[in-house]
Amino acid sequence: MMLGFFTALRENGILIGITDILTFYRGLSQGLAGDLDRLFLFARLCFVRRVSDFDAFERVFSSYFAGIEIPPVEEGDWQLFETKEFHKWLGEAWQNNELPMHPNFMDPAELMRRFWETVREQQERHSGGSKWIGTGGTSPFGHSGYSQGGFRIFGQSKNRSAMKVMGDRRYIQYSSDSTLSEDNMRAALAELKHLEPSGPYDVLDIDETIRKTATNGGEIELVFQRAVRDKLKVILMIDNGGSSMLPYAHRTQVLFQKMKTQLKSLQIFFFHNTVYSYVYTDIQRTRAKSLESVLKNDSDTRLFLVGDATMGPHELLSAYGNINWGDEDPEPSILQLKRLREKFPFSVWLNPMSDIQIENGSLTVQKIKNLFPMFSLTLRGLHNSVEYLNKMAG
Amino acid sequence: MKTEDLQFKGSEKYYLSDELSEIVNMAILLQRPLLLTGEPGTGKTQLAFEIARTQNLQMEILRAKSTFKGEEAAYVQDTVLRLNDARFGPGESKRDVNNFFDYIMWGPVGRAFRSEKKTLLLLDEIDKTESDVQDNLLDILEDNEFTVRETNTVIKAIHPPVIIITSNAKRELSDPFLRRCFCHHIAFPDPDEMRSIIALHYPDSNPELVNAVIKIFYELRERRFEKAPATSELLQWLQACEKADVLPQDANNIPFAGILLKKTQDLLNYRNKKT
Repeated sequence: MMLGFFTALRENGILIGITDILTFYRGLSQGLAGDLDRLFLFARLCFVRRVSDFDAFERVFSSYFAGIEIPPVEEGDWQLFETKEFHKWLGEAWQNNELPMHPNFMDPAELMRRFWETVREQQERHSGGSKWIGTGGTSPFGHSGYSQGGFRIFGQSKNRSAMKVMGDRRYIQYSSDSTLSEDNMRAALAELKHLEPSGPYDVLDIDETIRKTATNGGEIELVFQRAVRDKLKVILMIDNGGSSMLPYAHRTQVLFQKMKTQLKSLQIFFFHNTVYSYVYTDIQRTRAKSLESVLKNDSDTRLFLVGDATMGPHELLSAYGNINWGDEDPEPSILQLKRLREKFPFSVWLNPMSDIQIENGSLTVQKIKNLFPMFSLTLRGLHNSVEYLNKMAG
Repeated sequence: MKTEDLQFKGSEKYYLSDELSEIVNMAILLQRPLLLTGEPGTGKTQLAFEIARTQNLQMEILRAKSTFKGEEAAYVQDTVLRLNDARFGPGESKRDVNNFFDYIMWGPVGRAFRSEKKTLLLLDEIDKTESDVQDNLLDILEDNEFTVRETNTVIKAIHPPVIIITSNAKRELSDPFLRRCFCHHIAFPDPDEMRSIIALHYPDSNPELVNAVIKIFYELRERRFEKAPATSELLQWLQACEKADVLPQDANNIPFAGILLKKTQDLLNYRNKKT
């Protein structure tokens, strides 16, 4: 029963296990999903663990139980045109003569509006309640559903129903593909680990205490050790040069600062497009600090470079490549990057471009990617980069 | 156990959305730990207290700290006392140095499991702990039991407690931990829900004032402050405005800004933006 639903969840990256499914069945047999809204809530409880999966869950649910295909993008996002849900709708709408003219001649904004209108209409229809029964002949509800009080719509007001809630897309900003917000980024970064003994000697070492006490002829001798704590040094280097980087530069900086309490030390530097023999300690890039001095940090420092790695090839590869007049440098930037990488093996490059864009990025992206492991500046990318660093640390 | 016995509804001091009350009831019925996430001020911890109060459950609370190792949730052995007794004798007390259990102090989990009465076990702010701490809690969540390592004794819950866990999502929880819970993210209340919350706390407030403060409150939340104002700040602010008998009108010029914005930097940013 509902196997298609389970497979669809897994296909959308929600890794449900057999125990989850058994719990789900157990709940159904106890009548926990008496109506569609309860089914929605209960299935979500059983299968979804992370807020980042909420949006995917809502899409799978509405597709499986209501036949409404919601694309994984927000309303107003132009990436809509790349989704299969949009293509499917477009094909059908054209065939059913629902469009005034050939899509090629229509204003994209108008197409987008029409698409979302259709989705909303579908949701509207379904939140009425009765439509749910017998869609396509098979009842989506557990065998207990009917006897337990039929299909009531949750709560009094219509706008609390599952379909409506899904329409709100309340969780899209938490989705793994979405760009970072301060909340979700902090959670991902907090996984960074580096344990070492620190703090006061306040943990009683029982084995050692007993040994010492015995050799002491029974006179108690207490032995204390220091606890193992997480102490991490982080250097953050942000490209705040191009306008494409502006929103990310600020956000990244704020974020790392927020988690400063967890870190032993945090240093933030700025650069324009790529790193030459100086980096800057202020956003305006007026206060320079020599790369030489940055390289004096301990080599277990975690280094995060944030930038789109996109620039003219000569900026990265040729001597005197710096485009800022007066800042020219005899050494090509790529050598400085190499130095950073060699000094700080725990280093990653975070790129605000999407994975596909990185894959097909310009020459400079490829060159830098060969040097630093590069991750997209999305929740998933950040998560992967942290995982990479932790794995390296063992 | 029948569903009706457990119907948990909001109470006079706690606003509960239909969604959340359903979820609580589902978790209780299937005896699964319920993990609540959400930003501060969404009433996660409060919910646990309300469940305990309305269901008449005794409560055991574990407040997590970052230095917390997990074992002490179940029990700690008072090694120093035992060493002392071994050396100087137990004195007047009835403790027997050879009996390990005479030197055990039960933690909240230990007490909840050994209680003769059904309890509610609250693991508060679990995200403050390291992931190995969460691993230590797995058996507790899964089978309602833990092992006393020193004697290999299994302590099983007499009555499986209702387990509520809260997390501010400061860091991600480990997968095995999440797998054993029902997880729910409490979204920040929308303006209408906020109105209901205010009505519960201050039923006699002037509706005009309530509308004004709610409007400005959500406007300020939109601005990217380091610490966005939350429900408790709103309630305090409302009270302050009421006492002083002022009606805030302009989001750029509010009285008692310090109540809503707690961080100095936020306050400075707010004042600068105004001018």
